[in-house]
Amino acid sequence: MAVLEKFKIVTTYNEVYDITKMVKETVAKSGVKEGICIVHNMHSTAGLAVFSPWDPDGFADLDDEIRRLVPTRIDFKHQHDTPQDAAGHIKSALLGVTLNFIVHEGALLIGGSQGLYFLEFDGPRNREFYVKVIADER
Amino acid sequence: MNKYENPMSRQVFSLPELIKEQYADLEPKSRTVLSFQEIFNIQRIVLTGCGDSYAAAMATKHAFEMLTEIPTEVVSAIELSRFYSKKHMGVDCRNPLVIAVSNSGTVARVAESVERARKYGCYVLGVTGNLESPLAKHSDKVLKVDIPKFESAPGTRSYMVSTMALLLLAIRFGEVRGKYTMEQAMDYRYDIRKQGELLEALLPAMNEQSLELAEQWKDYPCYDFVGAGFDYAAAWFGQAKILEATGKFAMHINSEEWFHLNFFAREAGRMGTFLVANTTNPAMSRNKELVKYANELGRPLAIITNGSKADFDHEDGVYLQVPDPKYEINMVLTQYAPLCLIASYISIMIGEKYGRGCEGKWSFCEGGYCVKHSEIVID
Repeated sequence: MAVLEKFKIVTTYNEVYDITKMVKETVAKSGVKEGICIVHNMHSTAGLAVFSPWDPDGFADLDDEIRRLVPTRIDFKHQHDTPQDAAGHIKSALLGVTLNFIVHEGALLIGGSQGLYFLEFDGPRNREFYVKVIADER
Repeated sequence: MNKYENPMSRQVFSLPELIKEQYADLEPKSRTVLSFQEIFNIQRIVLTGCGDSYAAAMATKHAFEMLTEIPTEVVSAIELSRFYSKKHMGVDCRNPLVIAVSNSGTVARVAESVERARKYGCYVLGVTGNLESPLAKHSDKVLKVDIPKFESAPGTRSYMVSTMALLLLAIRFGEVRGKYTMEQAMDYRYDIRKQGELLEALLPAMNEQSLELAEQWKDYPCYDFVGAGFDYAAAWFGQAKILEATGKFAMHINSEEWFHLNFFAREAGRMGTFLVANTTNPAMSRNKELVKYANELGRPLAIITNGSKADFDHEDGVYLQVPDPKYEINMVLTQYAPLCLIASYISIMIGEKYGRGCEGKWSFCEGGYCVKHSEIVID
């Protein structure tokens, strides 16, 4: 058994967008008790990450450090779009566009300090991501 | 079509297709002609050109300022080449960016202006169809335009291409400098492309009205073209087309100055008055006052607008509707179309050759001789 669900979200500039609830509900609705869950975004200037939700300043730290790693510069060789877009491609490649989780006893197996986040490296944009829940073979 | 059809009117009817073609050509070129570094280096912009290219600069100056927030001046070629202060050139690491427009690239004064601008440290972007031209040779970068050949007539197609090239540059500068998102930038661009369809839909009615107006106004001795902001560029362009196509006297003035000067003209009843007034124009209130007083004077009045009679308090006049774009900056791509049709039809109705046929006393202008051959002076 497998379930695929598509979500549409509207992000703001460099937003860290919480998708934890959407993914958890998809797993619950799927009826899968044991299996895996894949979260995937199809954009090249956005990423996905697991991050602690407890201190809001942590999101600012995440954003700051990502920008420190890949500053928005004007000397990128990719000049077709914008400097922010060029930096966004690099950030997306480094952080990845897919997250994998274990589904156990009908729920997403994540810790209490783990939230799932869609990382916007551009914005505001209309974005979408997919959640696939696959049951173990019997 | 009609018995008065002519090369200039055919140029107007070719605009919808030309807009599609030129968008496909210029959109990618406008992305790559300047690098991120070059775009971020811009502190000030000077737009320059002669004739229709000068009008294209006036038509897009406000778009540059609205989209990029970079101070932008329109400076005529002779002002830039003979008068513009050297103290204001070559500042802040090759500023201002001078964007010089000439399709042929061979206009002497434009070439002179960019040679001087570069000599004193400006960065020069040429917008031209001729890579071997003096303009191209004196430019740091060139945005190459490729306008398909057409029957010769007072420039209509080339004006549209110049305005589109400048608009696409303005959109690109604002996009790269983060003034709006890439999606917003694409929406501005899609709106440019859409103007061809909008014009195509309006052309049959616009043509009928233009023919009728030309018939009624063809014997007037003078025409007055009025507008404000980028509408003034269309008014300027309209008077240029009347001069080129019909050889008749024509004036151009902005909506405020009209109240200080042009309304004094005698024979008001024989002075064809064209007001270019889009409904989003910040000077709309003044334009409405102008319509009222022009009617009081008994001026024959044509209003070129994206709106209707209702937008002008139902004042009398011939209302020529032009496309209503999603973004006002794109109005300039088509709003001059009825003016070109009217000029072209008057030319045929009175039996006048475009540019006096470059014959007799006008023979010195054959092939643009007098604008291409002029002493170059670089101080």
